[in-house]
Amino acid sequence: MNPQIQAIAELDRVIHEPGRLMIAALLFAVEKADFLYLQHETGMNKGTLSSHLSRLEEAGYVEVVKTYRGKVPLTLLHLTGAGRKAFEQYRRKLKEAL
Amino acid sequence: MDEIKGLLNRPKYYNNIDGVGELEAGVGALSFAFFQWTLVRSPAHSAWHSMWVFYIYFGSMWAILHYGTKAIKERITYPRTGFVEYRKRDRVGPTILAVVAAPASLTLIMLAVRRHWDLTTGASLVGLLSAASYAYHFAREVRWKWAVASAMALSSILIAILPGDLIGSLTGHSWLAVCLPSFMLWGPLLLISGAISFWLYLRHTEAPAQDAQ
Repeated sequence: MNPQIQAIAELDRVIHEPGRLMIAALLFAVEKADFLYLQHETGMNKGTLSSHLSRLEEAGYVEVVKTYRGKVPLTLLHLTGAGRKAFEQYRRKLKEAL
Repeated sequence: MDEIKGLLNRPKYYNNIDGVGELEAGVGALSFAFFQWTLVRSPAHSAWHSMWVFYIYFGSMWAILHYGTKAIKERITYPRTGFVEYRKRDRVGPTILAVVAAPASLTLIMLAVRRHWDLTTGASLVGLLSAASYAYHFAREVRWKWAVASAMALSSILIAILPGDLIGSLTGHSWLAVCLPSFMLWGPLLLISGAISFWLYLRHTEAPAQDAQ
């Protein structure tokens, strides 16, 4: 098989979806961020963002910690080791494909 | 790929989304300028020349800037546009740079004083480098900040071409105040730029309802 086509076929489908790719890229650049930051940066509504985060959490790429800032609920998110590895691999594969 | 690179750089720009980074730098520059100005104008035996005043002054300034910035972020920025904790790797780099740059700069200044070099030229060069650094970190994302970067660069060139006597009378002909003209110009520039960003941030964002997070 053509190596470029093979690289496309090997792209991680969980990360490849544009919404989740945005989330993974934003979280890759930080230690952790809260739900509001991701909502602000991606422009997604709460429902869509939650659904993408659930998918990333199921894949073991994102860890969600629910806590409080004062009396206000706060959802902190960070990319796990597997998530970082998957994102780096995704970028490498995408570069190969292009 | 460029879009992914852009997303990876977003958190860096987020640090100054509210202009607080520039406000902090502006207050820092003006407080440093004030200290230098006082140092060259006070008698040699005054308390301003003692080390403990130096430590108290800069310790207090650090505390005001650090906790002031933290308070603004916690009360205004995080509830409006969210919280970000930067990677340790991104914080270690600037710290190492500062640790290396500070003694290197001090050595260079000592060498310059010993050899009677013209320090205003050196200060102007540092000014141009700072303007370039400002452009790289802030103006790339927010276009109108190119005006601030240009003003910083122009003021550095202005300091270099102004008559030596004029600069000398301001700095008391002392190498201790070699950065005083630059800081006096940049302080207000950064404060104005930061205040405009802060005003724009408050205007275009609003705190969501408490259950929004």
